[in-house]
Amino acid sequence: MSLATALFLAFFGIAAIWFGVVVFRTHSMVRSAIALLFSQTAIGAMFLVMQAEFLGVLQIMMMATEMSVMAIFMVMFMMDPGGMGKMDMTHQKRLSLWAGGIGLAVALAVIWTAGWQGPVPEVPGADEQARMLGRELLGRSMFIFESAALMILTAMIAATMVAIAPQERDVP
Amino acid sequence: MSIAIVLLALAVGCYLVAVFEGWAVHGRFSLTRPAISALALLGREQILPRTPDRLFFETGPVLLLVAGLLSVAVIPMAPGLIITDLAIGALFLNAALAYVLVALIMAGWGPNGAYGMIGGWRFLGQFIAYAMLIVMPITAVAMRAESLSSTQIVLSQVALWNVFYQPIGFVLFVVAALGVAWLPPIDLPTGGGDLGGGVEAEYTGARLAVWRLARLVIIVALSGATVTFYLGGWLGPWLPGWAWTALKTLAVAAAMLTLGRHLPRLREARYLAVSWKLGISLALANIFLVGVIALVVPI
Repeated sequence: MSLATALFLAFFGIAAIWFGVVVFRTHSMVRSAIALLFSQTAIGAMFLVMQAEFLGVLQIMMMATEMSVMAIFMVMFMMDPGGMGKMDMTHQKRLSLWAGGIGLAVALAVIWTAGWQGPVPEVPGADEQARMLGRELLGRSMFIFESAALMILTAMIAATMVAIAPQERDVP
Repeated sequence: MSIAIVLLALAVGCYLVAVFEGWAVHGRFSLTRPAISALALLGREQILPRTPDRLFFETGPVLLLVAGLLSVAVIPMAPGLIITDLAIGALFLNAALAYVLVALIMAGWGPNGAYGMIGGWRFLGQFIAYAMLIVMPITAVAMRAESLSSTQIVLSQVALWNVFYQPIGFVLFVVAALGVAWLPPIDLPTGGGDLGGGVEAEYTGARLAVWRLARLVIIVALSGATVTFYLGGWLGPWLPGWAWTALKTLAVAAAMLTLGRHLPRLREARYLAVSWKLGISLALANIFLVGVIALVVPI
């Protein structure tokens, strides 16, 4: 890995973490959602730095939609979406600190103990990567993706059912 | 060098689209009007609304311009005349256009005004309607080309343009493109006569000039994408390739600007219902048909 690549990777990594912090520092729900979007976009940029063009662009594209939809839900359900009333975004601080600390420790343990194979010497071209991803998705990983899709569809239908106000029926 | 040429062509294209739009809206053809309007906007007072989300307010128009410019980057004018010929160009175009939504939400939320906010959220509803109709027709186009590269997609149409090969996809893509650029009859995010300018309502002066320029770039980008994906890009007899791309792009832009004005406005809820119930079914049928044709009679 060249020095420039490493620098860019570190820059986008730090940007991702910083925007993640901003999510909780702001009082505005929309700012929070957009900060999460830019955190995820920075991760997409990290994919691009690592020459995974398809995955990077896909990440950058999908998150724009998802976080925007999340923003409107946050505005709908929170009592102070603009953050004008200085509502506190944090709660259960002791529990959150412990959960965050343990999560970090586990993540670091996994990073240090996992047997990484080292960087790949030769990165396949972007069109070759797309072809390989397609074969993977329509082959070995197809069942995982199809079952995930089915679960998301079920959740969507269930969420819609919950959201629709019950109609008043004539009581016999 | 090719970057400078494409950007120059984009600037000329935006100007001509502005002339067309003025002609379509006001009924008067004037080559100087867009320049005068731009100068007037730049000279006007810039009003800042009370208690805005300043960051969003300032970022909205700039992000819209960046999204438009990035989507232009993968549209080829001629062989080699493209800003960057990515292997995943079609997907990149989608990704760039997704940030049009983010820009509109930011610009709608930023000024802390009711009209802008309603306009911004309306565009989100509109986005949910058109998103699938942008992606699924492009999938069928990429299936025929066996590549996501926009140059390869043009080359795959040497024998027959995609508009004849997959007409359903073409119609769906154009309807979705009208939604992306909030052109009539799907122009409720800025809905003149309904929301007092919607997302644009609180913008004045140079900020409004950037916003309007960004929208022109997006219209040119979408017309260019339609030409690349369905109308054979630079392919054509007698004239050089870049001239064909330019002529076709302007023709598509003119059609997009004028045709919709003769239809009644479509509310975003209605657009959503039609897009999902009819549009997605047709888009799936289109993918299936293109798959069958590609396997049975490879053209």
